[in-house]
Amino acid sequence: MNGISAFLTVGSGMNLLYVMILLPFVLALLCLAIPKQSYAAKAGVFVLAVVANLIFAFGVFRAPDATMLIPWAGFEINLALRIYDFSRFIVIAAAIIVFLVGLYSVSFLRRKEYAGQFFFYYLLTLALANGAFLANNFVVMLFFWEGLLVSLFGMLVLVNKDNVRTAVKAIVLSGTADLLLMLGIAMTCMHAGTMMMDAVNDLSVSGIGAVGFLCMLAGAIGKAGSMPFHSWIPDAANDAPLPFMALLPAALEKMLGIYLLTRIVLDFYDLQPGSTMSLVVMIIGAVTLFFAVSMALIQKDMKRLLSFHAISQVGYMILGIGTALPVGIVGGLFHMVNNALYKCCLFLSAGAIERATGTTDLKRVGGLGKMMPLTGLCFIIAALSIAGVPPFNGFFSKELVFDAAIESHTVFYVIAVVGAFMTAASFLKLGHAAFFGPTKLPDDVKKEDVREAPAAMLLPMVVLAAACVVFGVWNRLPLDMIQPLLGDTLAGQDFAGWPHSMTLVLISLAVLLLAIINHIIGYRMTGEGIKAVDHIHYAPGLRQLYHCAEQHYFDPFDILMVFVRIYAWLCYCIDRAINWIYDVLLVRLTSFFSQSLKNFNTGDVAGYMVRSFIGLAFLVLLFVLLI
Amino acid sequence: MSASFTSLIYTYIGFPLLAIVVLNLIGKKHMEKFCAPIGCAVGVVQAVTSVITMLLLLQYNKAAVNFSQFWDMSVSTEAAYFSVDAISAIVLFCIGMVTAASFLTAAGMREEKMFNYTNVMLILVLGMSGIALVTDLFSLYVFLEITGIASFVLIALHRDIIGLEGSFKYLVMSAVASAFILAGLSFIYMETGSLRYDAVAEMLAGNTAAEPMLIWLAFLFLIAGFSIKSGIVPFHGWLPDAYQSAPAPVSVVLGGIVTKMAGVYAIIRIMSDFLLGTYSVINLAFMLLGLLSIVMGALAAIAQGDFKRILAYSSISQIGYIVLGASTGSMIGLIGAVLHFFNHATFKTTLFVNSAAVERQTGTTEIERLGGLQKQMPVTGVSSVLAFLSTAGIPPLAGFWSKLLIIIAAWQAGGPLIAGIALVASILTAAYFLRLQRKVFFGPVEEHLSTVKEARGGIAVSAVALSAVTVVVGLLFPVLLQILQAQGLL
Repeated sequence: MNGISAFLTVGSGMNLLYVMILLPFVLALLCLAIPKQSYAAKAGVFVLAVVANLIFAFGVFRAPDATMLIPWAGFEINLALRIYDFSRFIVIAAAIIVFLVGLYSVSFLRRKEYAGQFFFYYLLTLALANGAFLANNFVVMLFFWEGLLVSLFGMLVLVNKDNVRTAVKAIVLSGTADLLLMLGIAMTCMHAGTMMMDAVNDLSVSGIGAVGFLCMLAGAIGKAGSMPFHSWIPDAANDAPLPFMALLPAALEKMLGIYLLTRIVLDFYDLQPGSTMSLVVMIIGAVTLFFAVSMALIQKDMKRLLSFHAISQVGYMILGIGTALPVGIVGGLFHMVNNALYKCCLFLSAGAIERATGTTDLKRVGGLGKMMPLTGLCFIIAALSIAGVPPFNGFFSKELVFDAAIESHTVFYVIAVVGAFMTAASFLKLGHAAFFGPTKLPDDVKKEDVREAPAAMLLPMVVLAAACVVFGVWNRLPLDMIQPLLGDTLAGQDFAGWPHSMTLVLISLAVLLLAIINHIIGYRMTGEGIKAVDHIHYAPGLRQLYHCAEQHYFDPFDILMVFVRIYAWLCYCIDRAINWIYDVLLVRLTSFFSQSLKNFNTGDVAGYMVRSFIGLAFLVLLFVLLI
Repeated sequence: MSASFTSLIYTYIGFPLLAIVVLNLIGKKHMEKFCAPIGCAVGVVQAVTSVITMLLLLQYNKAAVNFSQFWDMSVSTEAAYFSVDAISAIVLFCIGMVTAASFLTAAGMREEKMFNYTNVMLILVLGMSGIALVTDLFSLYVFLEITGIASFVLIALHRDIIGLEGSFKYLVMSAVASAFILAGLSFIYMETGSLRYDAVAEMLAGNTAAEPMLIWLAFLFLIAGFSIKSGIVPFHGWLPDAYQSAPAPVSVVLGGIVTKMAGVYAIIRIMSDFLLGTYSVINLAFMLLGLLSIVMGALAAIAQGDFKRILAYSSISQIGYIVLGASTGSMIGLIGAVLHFFNHATFKTTLFVNSAAVERQTGTTEIERLGGLQKQMPVTGVSSVLAFLSTAGIPPLAGFWSKLLIIIAAWQAGGPLIAGIALVASILTAAYFLRLQRKVFFGPVEEHLSTVKEARGGIAVSAVALSAVTVVVGLLFPVLLQILQAQGLL
């Protein structure tokens, strides 16, 4: 222990920065190298990696501010890393989530064929994410950021090696966002005249700055899974292993995206509250949260429902940060932390149910609360948090976002509140259907077989649920870390403790009450928890809209693919045309000339001589013309 | 030094003469079976001598060496004399090489009229060597006629109707060419009073002509005359007929060297000795004729149905490249032209030898009746592929380097359009040769050809030797080029 603490303090934590990136990568390779049969060894290395990462993250957390720079590629592209408030905070947050989900995965993936590869991609993701958080050079950050696409693709093809549609969809959407990010970074660097991230400060959002801002914004929100880069997430819920959902779309991708978004808004660009660009960001946030939660409302599968919430929650964060008000940014970041906690917990409990019953389809399970009480408890706490019930953490962060929204424009506040209503309603439905009501199980599962999840899976869920309570009741703990990130912008305000505006709290409580009333009405009408929101789903007008949405009519990827197909067809036509020129036209022309020339040589000497004299005449003409 | 140089003349001119005298003194009865070895020896000795000449030139660092063995140079400055420079030496090497290949082919084909063939061939060698050695335009004309007459006889060697027809066409067109050339010479003589290369060059460089019109007329006729002799489009009509109708060993020597010596060599001489950089209209005329030949020859070759006829049209196209290189008037273009001359002698002779092998083993050269011979005739097939790759200008074979130099020179002199046309025509070259290879050598074997065997003896030897030259020269090309340039010979 002494050795470790000595190591942690040597060199002001500089060597930690290498270790944070290199160690997971090396251990990832080791995981891949260990033979398939020895699952225990694989899992051992994997746990060692996430635990070590957690310890080193604490080391980074304790280390003083520092920057390091290794000359690399020239053109100012240097391997620059930096420890300061923000990277400290985000690295430790990521390390905790990675540790908990990792612990869960070891138990969840036992006896799964793809476990070794999953561990490899998991640790690769960790190494790249750490690199992206710690980078202090735009190009280096982009390198790690784009590298994440590799592990994303890898994890998505793990289960269905033959069906890569979801993986392709994810890589197309995320790749588009990353491409925009690359453009944005190029423009930002040109605008600022440097590639060092700590040297780019408060660029004006106008002219090329506006374009650069929008492109970088697209990269950030694309990683976070906001609209219009979202549509692969619900598909992944069906296709990818569950720990993947808990790790990437629920937690780590949000952290990456929101981290970059906050850096853009706070550091790189000078975004003024009420400006056009601020409005753009807020609209993206509002649209995302509203439509995603509308879709979540009608889902009948746990994982799919949660995946839509993973999209909608990011809408709150973007809305909050987009206001560019201190309260909004603090609220957005706080919401990011809270979302990581409760969304992880929700996915993990869904995973526990899947492990016990073999399904997450709400139509086939019910009354699990009695059989899996601890899972049920964790789920309920997390659900209360996401629904924004005091005194859980989600309530406090949501109130901050509401505060910022109403300060910007009432419309945004109304949308956010309607979103909160639907969130609460959907979780009432989910909780009711899964844990309460009459016991219902798939036909092939016996009641005696359904047991509480093992300790290694329960522990992360319990810790996360506990954190939801702690971060709510004692919200000064996280906020004391978040608020210094804003620096001077904060102007001495303190958002810890009970929300400042009592009116907003009352409205929120009223909305929750409405959701409960709505649930009771729905339950009365249909007699089943799962159908509690069917009166909204099948309301005239909405029913058709929902139908279209379920048929992917509004999926940006599918719309894009229509254009891609048209473009591909055009390219095909052009290719055929060029091919025709080479394969048909040129051949015909050549053989036409060849045949003519062949027929021209008749064997007639007089003809040859005539042609020779024509040639002579041609020479005479040439001489006469040119002398 | 002078002794070693002087003795060279005996091998170039004297050796063929001696061979003719010996053969005819002893008589047909006794010498018939020694004809092929003697002819081969003449060719090999000439090739070796030309290499020695080159080495001597390099060693003594001289651009050229003059002989006055038969005429005393000190009597009159107007006297004719022989001279060997780097271009002559390369050309003499080609003559020796192709002559040897032709005799080997004749031996392989079991030529019936071996004695007659050998006698006339030796006269032909004499004529071609003379063309390479002379230093005045009239001597050039005399040796041209010797070469021509020997060729007419050789084409009609078997006195069959096809051979006689081809020979007659060549004779008639050559007569026209001779008239043109003589007319051109007379106009130049009217102006200069001398036909020696250096005197003509001096007159042209000093621009001292009293009647410039005469000079223009002279060149008009010379261009037309030499174009007929070399078979440049549109003066080419006789060439495919003559090549196709000649007996196999004769078409080897015709396609490999004769038309090149009779026409193209004179054009290279005119461009290198008289006109480097002046008289741009003549350059332009040759450039246009060269391009026309390249494109038309290649296009016409695509549709042909006879192995030898394809080679004939290919010759027209390749002669176009040589003329294009010479027409640029630049040093690099001339080097390219001379080296392409050498490469063309190598690969076209290889291909004609291959066609002789196919003709000997299958009895036909019509490509529609051939197919899949690669397995049965591996030597012929492989050497043919090497030769055609070299023709098409595929690195690292010899043809690539000379074509590259020509195209670079064409770009410098005529711009990208000219060079582009020359380059695209290379694709046509590949097209007609691929067609030829596919029809003759690739694919499944035709049923009636399943018993065909590889040609043995002289034909195979010459095919292998010539392919080796193509490959080795290709690989060593940069080195050779450096040596030649360092000595200032080219």
